[in-house]
Amino acid sequence: MNTRWLIGKVGAAALTLVFVLIFNFFLFRAIGDPTEQLVRLPQSTPEEIAELRAEYGLDKPLLSQFADYVGDTFTGELGISQRTREPVWDEIKRAIPWTLLLVGVGTLIATILGAWMGVKAATKRGTRTDDGLLSFNLFTYAAPEYWIGIILILVFAVAIPIFPAGQQVTPGVEFSSWFAEAADVLDHLVLPVTAMTFLLLGQYFLIMRSSMVEVLTEDFVTVKRATGLPWNRVVSKHAVPNALLPLVTIAAIQFGAVAGGAVTIEALFSWPGLGELSYDAIGDKDFPILQGTFLVFSFAVIFANLIADCLYFALDPRVQAK
Amino acid sequence: MTRYARLPVALAVLFATAALAIIAVPGQAQEDSGSESGSQDVFRVGWSQDPKTLNPFVGVNEEEFTIWAINWELLVGFDPEDLTPAPAIAESWDVSEDGKTVTFHLIEDAKWSDGEPITSEDVKWSLETLGEEGLLFAGYTAGVESIKTPDDHTVILTSEEPNARLIGDLFVYVLPEHIWGKVPVDELTGGYQPEVPLVGSGPYIVTEFERSRILKMTPNPEWRGEQPAFDELQFIRYGSADAVERALTLGEVDFIPEVQPATFDRLGEQEGIEVVNAPTYSFTELAFNLCSEENCPDAQFNPAIQDQTMRQAIAYSIDRERNNEIANLGTSFVAHGILPSFYKDFYEVPELDYPYDPELANQMLDDAGWELNADGIREKDGVVASFDLFVRSEAPAEIQYAKLIAEQTEEIGVEFNLQVVSTDKLTELTVRKEDGLPAPEFDTFIWGWGGDPYDPSALLDLVTTSQIGASSDSFYSNPEYDQLMEEQVTLVGEEKLEERKELIKEMVAMVQEDLPYLVLSYDPYLEAYNEDALGNVERLCPAETGEILCQQVSYEPLLTLTPGEGSSGAETVSGVPGGVVAIGALIIAIVAFLVGRARGRRETEPMELPT
Repeated sequence: MNTRWLIGKVGAAALTLVFVLIFNFFLFRAIGDPTEQLVRLPQSTPEEIAELRAEYGLDKPLLSQFADYVGDTFTGELGISQRTREPVWDEIKRAIPWTLLLVGVGTLIATILGAWMGVKAATKRGTRTDDGLLSFNLFTYAAPEYWIGIILILVFAVAIPIFPAGQQVTPGVEFSSWFAEAADVLDHLVLPVTAMTFLLLGQYFLIMRSSMVEVLTEDFVTVKRATGLPWNRVVSKHAVPNALLPLVTIAAIQFGAVAGGAVTIEALFSWPGLGELSYDAIGDKDFPILQGTFLVFSFAVIFANLIADCLYFALDPRVQAK
Repeated sequence: MTRYARLPVALAVLFATAALAIIAVPGQAQEDSGSESGSQDVFRVGWSQDPKTLNPFVGVNEEEFTIWAINWELLVGFDPEDLTPAPAIAESWDVSEDGKTVTFHLIEDAKWSDGEPITSEDVKWSLETLGEEGLLFAGYTAGVESIKTPDDHTVILTSEEPNARLIGDLFVYVLPEHIWGKVPVDELTGGYQPEVPLVGSGPYIVTEFERSRILKMTPNPEWRGEQPAFDELQFIRYGSADAVERALTLGEVDFIPEVQPATFDRLGEQEGIEVVNAPTYSFTELAFNLCSEENCPDAQFNPAIQDQTMRQAIAYSIDRERNNEIANLGTSFVAHGILPSFYKDFYEVPELDYPYDPELANQMLDDAGWELNADGIREKDGVVASFDLFVRSEAPAEIQYAKLIAEQTEEIGVEFNLQVVSTDKLTELTVRKEDGLPAPEFDTFIWGWGGDPYDPSALLDLVTTSQIGASSDSFYSNPEYDQLMEEQVTLVGEEKLEERKELIKEMVAMVQEDLPYLVLSYDPYLEAYNEDALGNVERLCPAETGEILCQQVSYEPLLTLTPGEGSSGAETVSGVPGGVVAIGALIIAIVAFLVGRARGRRETEPMELPT
């Protein structure tokens, strides 16, 4: 890989991150003073409020607060949650694996299914198969994920109760082995992952379909066909690998964005990931947590973009040529 | 072989695995019933908000109180029958002749859950430390002059003036000093997270706390009273109020402490589910800006709101019955004065109660010289009866209520302009100061307050002059009222209760007449439970009109409630859930089908060309 190219990309990513860091700080300061809500407590006195402000460093000038914030962030110190008084990073650390599990499995299934259906639709363009797949995917693409989630819950957790409606494990039970626990987590994963898959599927399908349609019209496909290669082999060995390129990069980029966009799904299914953490923090006006999760989300998007760039570089010889 | 020859094979695989799934499901269900673990009885509570911390120095949420009130006790508790002061850590108490000294006698052989004795030192430390530094507990010990502990089982409180709140309103939990006393105060008020099991004195103690997931409590081994009927309490947290209610209908939880008003009736209609609504110590009020020139020189408001006749006319024009039916869906209780009916000892419907009477309201305004202008709005000396009405965007019922008020006051030529703002914004408008003096910027708003379990002082105090610049958001100032406030609290003991009631009645009447607040409704507890899961259900706190759990007030119901016939035991799960098996079967079947088809095609199909 070209080192100069890589340095450029990493540099751009770092710059974006610095901007996010600055923006993040001022965004939450602009919203208001987090101690204000405590004023309504019947027994709170102005002295206590002042004490609280001092404790959070809110009595210092804005610039010195900013310096503290930047310094703390770089030393991995994201502050203390206002509602739980636990370090923000601890709470985020607990949530990350759950989000990765949900988003990872969802992305994987959506990519495979989307690619497969996209190839089917493109190779049978204009047929009833194509129409059917297209309508189905446009429908899931257009339907809001929380709506799909509610329908899934109503059908598969309430009407036909075969899956749990929320949470990541059955609360309050003992498991005889890690295997039983893993199976229970899997059971709880089914509905949210289905919702997550539907959230991504339509998009991936459309990308795959259009990219496949384009590739199929290219000269090399005609040449391969002319050599007498069976059509199935032309599609699977030559057309698909070329058409996959946009899908892979989009999926990689999306992975970062989806980590933050899983908020509605996580909140709906009480899934203890970053989305639910942010959702709760908004409700509780827990600014340190929000600041932390925003930073993680931004980092995820920037990092995913960087990875996508590298992937593209590795997969597409044309990028390397430039 | 044709391309679909493999389909039957795939279907066979599907059916076989589906059959496997069906076999697996009952296998798991058996273990679910907990028959192996025997007589473990679990009481499951579902909620959408859970405690953020177990540390009472920093916790501010209701859910935290719910847990603390089971884990710890106050010096003096509340009788679940009528909420009057009842023995807790203190077995009994004497009041001195002059009413300034109260001697508490602690239960002699009481122990903390870790076996240490509960002593007067614990009480003293808690009152002094939690009562000073706890965010929600500071203030209750304000009248206390000294705390003496002549021996392990006696605590003597003295105050400058006789103070009834020292008995019925000393709302400070008694914590084990041998644990909490070792932690520096700035840590207690900072990031301190108490260790679990949480050493306590109540019937159950917290043994497991996984935030945002589950909190478990098990019986306190040193509990001195009657043994509770449940082996474990589980407070399970769900992501939304909808999810909690679903969990109740699916039987995943036995009890919900907080049902949504919108779903309350519907939930009650479901078979096997009972709903309860009971008044609480909280109310929702329409507040008026009564700040005087002297107290708030920079306040901004329409002066017409400070016309008492105007406020009274507004009160007569508001149909509280109808609005409660519409805005609160009939789940709240129509208010009659500043003291909620929850305060059984002190509650009485005031004489001046403002029944809905728009004609009277019109008459009053006519008589006072408020005349309709060209826009149909009343006007007097160039002042137009047009007011801002602030409501919080977070409170949809209050927004609805405000719209109804605006509609109803239109009938009497008074205009209300709805301003929907965030809680933070409204806080700012009410507490803002200029040059150290309050400078509120509103005419009227709708919001609420909550009081203490027995003593009404906290609510009555909201409209005293001394609270201007602190909690007062009507900025009402009436020396007569302040005088009564000071006086009523000095009437200590049961023999003076009648006298105290009279004074409080007078205070309520004053608020009704001057209207710093028009209290609209008393907020309810909305609870629901599975009939099968709970036995011996009683309405308590207070008896008959109260609720099931005595939330935040008393642990007593947890001692009398019993597991119902259909209650579920503790579970040990070892099988694979049926849903997972079914999904696995489906995937295997699809893969088998695809593989079969692909192979079939490869073998026999002619080359296919796109058209």
